[in-house]
Amino acid sequence: MNNKVDLSINLGNLQLKNPVMPASGTFDIRDTILNKEQLNSLGAIITKSIASHKRLGNPGPRIWETEAGMMNAVGIPAEGFEYFKENILPLLEDFCVPIIVSMVGDSITDFCQLAKKLDNFEKISALEINLSCPNLNDGLYFGTNKDVLGDLIYQLKKNTGKVVMAKLSPNVTDITEMALTAEEAGADIIIIANTFLGMAIDSEKLIPRLGNKVGGISGPGIRPIIVRMIWEASQRVKIPIVGVGGITSTRDALEMFLAGASAVQVGSANFSNPYVMLNIIEGIAGYLNKKKYKSVKDIVGLIK
Amino acid sequence: MKSAENKPLFVTGKVLENRNINGDYFEIVIEAPDIARNARPGQFVMLSRWNINNLFLKRPFSFYQIDAEQGRFAILYKKIGKGTEILSQSKKADQVELIGSCGNGFSLPENVGKIALVARGIGVATLLPLAIEGKKKGLEIYSFLSAREKNLLLGPDKLGPLSSHIFYTTDDDWKGTDGKVTFFLEELLKNNRTDFEAVYVCGSKRLARHIRELQKEYHFAAYISLEERMGCGIGACKGCVINTIYGYQRVCKEGPVFPLEEVILNE
Repeated sequence: MNNKVDLSINLGNLQLKNPVMPASGTFDIRDTILNKEQLNSLGAIITKSIASHKRLGNPGPRIWETEAGMMNAVGIPAEGFEYFKENILPLLEDFCVPIIVSMVGDSITDFCQLAKKLDNFEKISALEINLSCPNLNDGLYFGTNKDVLGDLIYQLKKNTGKVVMAKLSPNVTDITEMALTAEEAGADIIIIANTFLGMAIDSEKLIPRLGNKVGGISGPGIRPIIVRMIWEASQRVKIPIVGVGGITSTRDALEMFLAGASAVQVGSANFSNPYVMLNIIEGIAGYLNKKKYKSVKDIVGLIK
Repeated sequence: MKSAENKPLFVTGKVLENRNINGDYFEIVIEAPDIARNARPGQFVMLSRWNINNLFLKRPFSFYQIDAEQGRFAILYKKIGKGTEILSQSKKADQVELIGSCGNGFSLPENVGKIALVARGIGVATLLPLAIEGKKKGLEIYSFLSAREKNLLLGPDKLGPLSSHIFYTTDDDWKGTDGKVTFFLEELLKNNRTDFEAVYVCGSKRLARHIRELQKEYHFAAYISLEERMGCGIGACKGCVINTIYGYQRVCKEGPVFPLEEVILNE
C-alpha cells in the first residue's frame, strides 16, 4: 500500500526513519498512552525538558483554552540531571529511535555544564535547546536576543559532540535573523518555533486566567504564522528546519514540509488525540503515494 | 491512594442516553466496555464530542455510575461552557472520544464501619460510585449534601437508599447550619461520638476546610476529590497542578483524590 514511499529524512547527522516526532513539553515517556511499538514507530522521541537542578514550574492555573488552541503557563517544570540519569534515561534504553533530550537552563554556564554531562550518554542522539527561558544573568530571553542566542549556541557546541537543535522563540521581529544567528553559531538544526506569548483575563473575577498572568499560545491558531516563519527562514538558512506549532492533521504537517521544514513536531494536539502522530505518519505516506512522490525529501521546500 | 491503576485507553464510546435532569444538569450514559471494565470510583474520563478544530481540548468528567458488566458508565454534568453545551445536545448513538480511565480513585477503609460522604452540588457525581462500592463492602454510609438551592440538590434519590443517614442543607434554607452541611457532621462527632473510618469530600473547598478542622480534632482519615482545567488528563502536560505539602501535584495523575491533609486549601 504505502510501502513504496520513503519517509526517512536526514537532519544533518540525525537520521530519522520518518519526519514526525513529539514536541517537548506535550509528551512524557512516563505518561503516554502509546505502547512501545507505537513509540518505536515515531521519527524520534523527545524528553520533557531537563535542567541542571529541579525546576518547579508555575502556580496554577496553568492551562487556558483559546478559540483556536490553548495557552499554557506550565513554566517548564523540569527534573534535574541526577533524576534524569537515574529514572528517565533507563526508560529510554528500550527504544530504537533517536532520543532527543530537551534542555532548559538559567545561564550559558548552566546550559554548558548540563550539555557536558549529557555528552557521556551514547543513547542520546541530540540536544534540543529550549531558548524560551530567561538568562538569569541579565534577564534577557535566550530566544529573543540575537547576541545571547549566538553566544549560547557557540558555547554549547564547544561542550558537546551531540547534534544541537536550537528551538527558536517566535516572539521576535525577524525569525530569519535568529535562524541565521543560530546557524552561524554552529547549531545543527533549527526548530521553528515555540509558543507565542499571550494573555487572557477573566472579566468577572478581574484576574488573569493563568497563574503566571501570561503564557504561551499553541494550537491551530498559530500555525499560519509558523508556516510563514518556516518559509521565510528556509529561504536563507542551509541547516535543516524542524517545524512545530499547531499541527493537528496530515495536511497541517504537509504545509510545513512544503514551506521548507524537513521534519515536524506535534505538540498540544497530542492531548486531544494521543494517536495523532501515528495518523500523520500514515497520512504523509498516503499523500506521497497519491501525488506520486518517492520520498518526503521531494516535497521539502517546494514552495519558493 | 496511590494504588496502581490501569493505563488509560483512547477509545470511541457510544451515547446510550442523554437526559436533562433539571435546569442545567444532565446525565449521559456512554457505552465503552474497555473503559467501564477498568473504571474505579473517583477516577475520570477525558471526553470530546467535537472535532479538535471546533474545541481544542477534551473535558474531564468523573464517573457517576459504573456498570462494568454492561460495559457502560454514566456522567452527571452541568451545562456551564462550550464543551458541556455541545455535550448537552448528545443524542442516542452519537459517538464520543474518550481517554480513560484516568487518575487515582478512592480507597475504602479496610475495616467495616462508618464512612461519611460530603458533597456540594455536582460533587455528588464523584461520590456515588464510592457509596455503591462502600455499601457492597458492608460499610455504613452517612451522606451530607449541600447546594445553592433546593432544586439543585442532586443525588438524594440515588444516595438515599445507600445511606443509613442522609443530611442536606441549601443556601436558601439554612436550617441553622450557616449553609454548611458539615455542621451536621460536627454535631455527630461531638454529641454522638460517632466514629468514622473515613470522610470523603467533593465539590467545595469551603466544606473541605471545615472537614480539615474537624479532622484535626477527631482524627479520622479524610480524602478530597479535586478538579482543575486539564490539557491531557494523563499526566503529560503538567497543566493541572494544585499545591500540596509535597509541592505541586497533578490532579489528573497523583489525584484527583488526595488525602485531605496533604492539600493546601487556601486560595
